[in-house]
Amino acid sequence: MNELLSQDKSIYLQLSEMIETDILRGILLEEERVPSTNELAKLYTINPATAAKGINLLVDEGILYKKRGIGMFVAKGAKEQIIAKRKDAFYENYVKALLEEAKSLGISSDQLIEMIRTHE
Amino acid sequence: MGQLVCENIEKKYGKKNVLNGVNLTIEQGKIYGLIGRNGAGKTTLLSILTAQNPATEGSVFYDGMPVWENRETLDHLCFSRELNTLSILGPNTIKVKEYLRMARIYYPNWDRDMEQRLVAQFGLDVKKRISKLSKGMLSMVTIIIALASKADITILDEPVAGLDVVAREDFYRLVLEEHEAAGRTFVISTHIIEEAANVFEKVIFLKDGSILLEEDTQELLERAVHVSGLAEEVDAACAGLTVHHTEMIGRSKGVTVLLEEGQSLAAGYDVTIQPVSLQNLFVALCGREE
Repeated sequence: MNELLSQDKSIYLQLSEMIETDILRGILLEEERVPSTNELAKLYTINPATAAKGINLLVDEGILYKKRGIGMFVAKGAKEQIIAKRKDAFYENYVKALLEEAKSLGISSDQLIEMIRTHE
Repeated sequence: MGQLVCENIEKKYGKKNVLNGVNLTIEQGKIYGLIGRNGAGKTTLLSILTAQNPATEGSVFYDGMPVWENRETLDHLCFSRELNTLSILGPNTIKVKEYLRMARIYYPNWDRDMEQRLVAQFGLDVKKRISKLSKGMLSMVTIIIALASKADITILDEPVAGLDVVAREDFYRLVLEEHEAAGRTFVISTHIIEEAANVFEKVIFLKDGSILLEEDTQELLERAVHVSGLAEEVDAACAGLTVHHTEMIGRSKGVTVLLEEGQSLAAGYDVTIQPVSLQNLFVALCGREE
């Protein structure tokens, strides 16, 4: 939750990814309260509506849930769910880019596989 | 052309220390950014550099010669102060064109063409009295004086205050042109850090009357990193390093690190490592202690 916001991506997406990463790293535990929209707005000096958009994205996915009158909480199984989601996106986000760059540099698939195999 | 060197400058106003032993060398042909919080001593330092204000201790040299009461050196320097609608005697009723005429007499290398070109470019009404100018227009006058002075070392104190973003970009472009064409040296103080970061070859952070750092801007940014994650992991990754501006929320922690020569973050920890902008770095180093 202490990451810096950058200009590269929408703020609300960065916010929701930050919370996801915190859940993966055990910074936010399941069934634990997450900072409110207003707390996040103050922390990052952003508009509360933007903070709410990031939070709602995670609520829609079932990673966070709302306890009326108390606040926002991390859902049970959220960590597993985020891992599954990120695994699905891994090919799109990382492997594709890796292959494209390898191709433009003339690195063959065999060489690439060799690099991964010999990495540590 | 020469360099401007200040040695051990101290300034006291009564009992208040405004500058505490400032040593600084302004090298020829570079663009410097002077950054500091309100009251850090920026304007005092700039005015002492150009002999418009006597230092309590220490001296300033241009090309090896003292600048104090030395016309020969002062001809090479221009300090375009922030202009005010008020003078000591009340409203500043001088007209812009009269003010520019005085500058023309004062600065030996005054460029009349440039003065007129800039007046037109900024759309400034020279018949107006200084007291009737808006904040942005006051800034335009100080910019015109600084640029048309053609001084080897030109110092501007918050030249972009009150200017709109288009005018601010125009200003920095003009500075770059003058730097490129005539090899002029600029020292510019500003609070709008981010948009100027790429213009400054060197950056000076002034904090409580002392120089906190003076460094090549890009080199400084390359050695600055922000580390965040689970507090224990962040601490492990930064073990043995000096951390600045620690922020904590529950188990989460974020710190800013300025890596010294040969230092690096410990590998193998699950932390997020991000580049730091000049503005973030300034806040980390000069912001309020948490």
